[in-house]
Amino acid sequence: MKIMRVRFLTSLCLLLFACAAHAERPAALADFERPARVPAPRGNPMTPQKAALGQMLFFDPRLSGSGAISCASCHNPALAWGDGLPRGIGHMGTTLGRRSPTILDVAFGEPYFWDGRAASLEEQAKGPLGSKSEMNMQADAAIGRIAAMPAYQSAFEQAFPGQAISLDTIAAAIATFERTVVSGEAPFDRWVKGDEEAVSQSAKRGFVLFNGKANCAVCHAGWRMSDDGFHDIGLPDDDRGRAAIAPGIEQLEHAFKTPTLRNVSQRAPYMHNGTVATLAAVIDHYDTGFVRRPSLDTQMKPLGLTAEEKADLLAFLDTLTGTAAPATIPVLPH
Amino acid sequence: MMKQSKILFPLALLALAVGVPAAAPLTITQKGLQFSSTEISVNKGQVVTFVNDDRTAHNITVKGDGVNLNGGLQQPGGQFSVPFTKPGTYEVSCGIHPKMKLEVTVK
Repeated sequence: MKIMRVRFLTSLCLLLFACAAHAERPAALADFERPARVPAPRGNPMTPQKAALGQMLFFDPRLSGSGAISCASCHNPALAWGDGLPRGIGHMGTTLGRRSPTILDVAFGEPYFWDGRAASLEEQAKGPLGSKSEMNMQADAAIGRIAAMPAYQSAFEQAFPGQAISLDTIAAAIATFERTVVSGEAPFDRWVKGDEEAVSQSAKRGFVLFNGKANCAVCHAGWRMSDDGFHDIGLPDDDRGRAAIAPGIEQLEHAFKTPTLRNVSQRAPYMHNGTVATLAAVIDHYDTGFVRRPSLDTQMKPLGLTAEEKADLLAFLDTLTGTAAPATIPVLPH
Repeated sequence: MMKQSKILFPLALLALAVGVPAAAPLTITQKGLQFSSTEISVNKGQVVTFVNDDRTAHNITVKGDGVNLNGGLQQPGGQFSVPFTKPGTYEVSCGIHPKMKLEVTVK
């Protein structure tokens, strides 16, 4: 009888503890659930043949004028699909104007480029190919090189039956492959799904700050932590960003696309110009370090974060790195 | 934008003056980085009022049939009204959050 009473009390305590833990779950977690499927446009549906062809093209340096640069040069799977550099390196070692963004979860993130000048991933894929400072490859030359290889001819016929090899089909295949690059489930995702042990107490406090005092979630919204919008966050450079593409809105001066925070701890340096070396320095920037000017986003205000709060935010950001399957590098046609 | 709106408002009033019936104003909210509808159909001369129910600022840009309106910055809680005076199809979007899109068909 005594043993039963002890068991009953133990069960009651566990139940109360579980209820208390559940009650403490931030309501905002519901806004961060991962989607069930990866989207693809009606005009370019996902097929395994297109994805396989796109993977070859993505890793093929022969798509560049020099024969030395592939898409993967700037979007390297070993570097969280970025390049780890402050600014991209293009044709013949040219330092580009902005940092290479990751392509993790790009299927969800239109429009593309830091200034959003490409409405679709297919359009985006054509940009670096033709850019003289990036891959420096004319469309005709790219098509000629690809069409000269029988294995590519066969892969194109399987991916695009009855269609000629063209810049459009090259871009459609690359975009299809890029849509397969999806971040792996992270500790944060397991917490969202209900596993209270998946993240630390510090990270949980960081999540509350992220949605509250630090005001990060106003732009870093949703499961990718991006509103896919454009904001001037007060970085001191002369790049007009989105305003050069969409003039007439003062707030778009010096405004750049909100990057995803997936795998963010693997993707230093930060910002569109790679001028912020660490995540701790990023938090300091938002706390007090930004430039005041008319275009500054109205959400940018001094935060007054304590050292402990900054540590909690860092702990939260560390929970956003997932464990995706290792990327495979294809054997290229000759 | 305000200047362009001032041009369009008299056109809407002119439409009313010559006896074209205009339906009641229609309200579209901006919340959760989405418009409350993705496509609407309105009568010629009908006014659509956009209400920002989000925590972040938005913008109303209207393009189509020779119209290119930019409503400037729309703060949280702010409203912006657009009279649709000419039949056609228009795309309404947010310049800050371009994923926000609404197609307006004016009959």
